[in-house]
Amino acid sequence: MKNKTQRILTFAQSIKEAQMQAFKLDKNVFIFGQAVDKTGHVFHTTEGILKKYGKKRIFDTPNSEQAETMFAAGAANYGLRPILIHHRVDFMAYSFDQLINWISLWSFKSSGKSSMPLVIRAIIGRGWGQGPQHAKTLHSMFSYLPGLKVIMPSSPSEAKGLLLSSIMSNDPVIFLEYRALYNTKEHVPERPYFIDLNEPRKRLSGKDITIVSMGASVLTSIQAVEILNKKSIGVDLIDLRNISSFNISKIFSSIRKTKRLLIVEDGWSSGSISSEIITRVMESGIKLRKPPQRVCWPNSHVPMSSQLEKDFYFDSKDIFKVCVKLMKA
Amino acid sequence: MTKNLKYKNKIKIYYYLKLIRETQNQIIERYHPADKMRCPMHFCTGQELMPSVLNQFLKKDDAIYSHHRSHGFYLAKGGSVKKMIAEFYGKNTGTNGGLAGSQELSDTNVNFYSGTILSGALSMAVGDAYAKIYKNKKSISVAVIGDGGMEEGIVYESLNLASKMKLPVLFICENNSYSTHTHLRERVINPKAYSKVIPFDIKCSYVNHQNPEKLYVKLDKIIKEIKKTKKPQFIEIQTYRFNGHVGPEGDDHFNYRPKNEIENWKRKDPLILYKKSLSKKLEILKILILV
Repeated sequence: MKNKTQRILTFAQSIKEAQMQAFKLDKNVFIFGQAVDKTGHVFHTTEGILKKYGKKRIFDTPNSEQAETMFAAGAANYGLRPILIHHRVDFMAYSFDQLINWISLWSFKSSGKSSMPLVIRAIIGRGWGQGPQHAKTLHSMFSYLPGLKVIMPSSPSEAKGLLLSSIMSNDPVIFLEYRALYNTKEHVPERPYFIDLNEPRKRLSGKDITIVSMGASVLTSIQAVEILNKKSIGVDLIDLRNISSFNISKIFSSIRKTKRLLIVEDGWSSGSISSEIITRVMESGIKLRKPPQRVCWPNSHVPMSSQLEKDFYFDSKDIFKVCVKLMKA
Repeated sequence: MTKNLKYKNKIKIYYYLKLIRETQNQIIERYHPADKMRCPMHFCTGQELMPSVLNQFLKKDDAIYSHHRSHGFYLAKGGSVKKMIAEFYGKNTGTNGGLAGSQELSDTNVNFYSGTILSGALSMAVGDAYAKIYKNKKSISVAVIGDGGMEEGIVYESLNLASKMKLPVLFICENNSYSTHTHLRERVINPKAYSKVIPFDIKCSYVNHQNPEKLYVKLDKIIKEIKKTKKPQFIEIQTYRFNGHVGPEGDDHFNYRPKNEIENWKRKDPLILYKKSLSKKLEILKILILV
C-alpha cells in the first residue's frame, strides 16, 4: 500500500486544503461563523487561513445562528460564496426558518433567476460523552427540503473534491462532517479537483449483498466488509455522497445483481434516508431474495454515559451480523 | 430647507404617491368577481409616503429587502407594474414567473426582494450590505420591516451584526400599529420600535408626520451619512393602512380598530395632503402636465 509518491492527508487537512484552494480559485469565497478563526480552528480545518487571507475572508461572529444564516443568504444573493460553519449541527436548529422559508426556495421562487451559492458546514455525530444536544446527525431532516443539497463525505479524498464542488455550486449546500472522521488518513491529490454532487460512488464490488451508506458509516461498513470477505461474502458498497438528490440508478443496478439490500446509516431509522431508499426500491419493483434491512441508531436521543453510548452506536460487528442473516437460505 | 426641493423631485414624489395608490385601487377593484388573481395580497394604501420619497434616493445597485406589504416599495425601486400584475395573475411573464405571488414579490432586475415570514428579509439585507463592502461598491441595502416584524428575535441578532460590522444598511420600520388585528398595546412594552434599536448604537430617527418634503430632507441626510460612514441607521415612520390586513376585502367590520382612529388617519392621507399643498402653490398644474 505504501507508496512514497503518495501524499497522505487527514480528513481535517483535506477540508482545509479544499477551502484554501477555493479561496484562490474565487475571490468571492469567504468563511465565517462562531470562533472559526481561533483556538481549535474548527477541528483544525481553518488553521492558517486568517494569517494568509485576513479578516475580510474569515471572521468570527456573535452567537447569532439565525442572523448568520441570513447573512450568508444576503451575501450569496449579491454574488459571494459564503461558507458558514457550525461547530455542532445541533446549533442549526436555530436556523430552520432561514433554511426552510428562504434559502431552500430562493432559486425556485425567482423562477431560476436568482441563485444561492452558499455552503453551511456542520459537525455531526459521535464524540465521547457529547450527549443529546451535541451528537445528533439530523441529515435526513435537511434532505426533506427541496432545493438543498446535503453532502456527507466519507473520507479525506472525498471530502476535498465534494467540498470544492459544493463551494462552486450555485445551489445551497449543507456539508455534514462526521466528527470521528477528522483523523482518518488517505491519499489526497494536491491539485484542486471536483466530484459530481449527484453521483454516488461504488466503493467496493461484490456479488452477494448491496450495502448503501453515507458519511462515517461508509467506513464502518468497509470494516464489516473486510470480515465478510473472509467468509467469502462479497459486497457492493455504495457511498451516497449526496443524500438529498442522488442518482439512484447505481443502487438499482447493484441490487438487480445481488438481490440483497442493507442500508447503514448514522442516525435515527424513522423518517430516514434508509426509509427513503427502501421505499424507492419497493416502488421500482425490483425483486429481492430477502426483505431489505437497515442498521441505524435506535429511535431515542443520544445518551452521555459511556456504557449507554456503547450500546447506542452500531459497529462493524452489528453490520456483519445482519449481513450473515441476509445470506441465510 | 424644504423650499429648496426641486420641481422635478416634487413631481416624482407626487407621481409615486399616485402610482402606488392607483395601482392598488385598480387591483382591489378588479380582483372580484373575475377572481383570476388568486394569491393573498397585503395592500399598502395609506402607507405610500415612505416608498414614494425613498424612491428619490435609490440607484439600481442599491437593494430593498422588504416585508410582505411590499407593492409600494417594489414600484418605488423601479419595478415594472406590468410584471407585478402578471405575477399576481400567476403568469410566467410575472416577476417571479408566477411562482411567488404578492407575498414574496421579487425582481432581480431591480434588486428588490420580499417575503412573508416576517423578518428574514431584514436579516438578508445585512449580508447583502457586507457583500457590497466586500466588492468595494458604494451602494447600500435597505431593509423594510413592520412593527410586527420588529418582535422577532432575528431582528436583534441582525441589528447587532450590522452595527458591530459597520455595514451600510438603512433599516426602515413602517409602524402601522397593527400586527394583523392585534394592536401594539397588546404586544409590547414600548410602542416605539426604535426604542429597541438605540441600545445597538445605531442612529435612529422617528417620523410622525405625513409631509413628503420634510421626509425628503431627512432621508437625504440619513442616506448621505450611511454612505459616508458605512454605518447603519434606523428610521421609523408612524403610518396607517387604509385597507384590510389582507385584501382585497376590508376587515373593519371585525371592529379591531376604533372608527375615530381610522377617520383621523384618513384626514392625514399623504396623497390628498400633498395634492392640496401643491395645488395651493399652483404647482399641481405643472405636475399634471408633466406626469
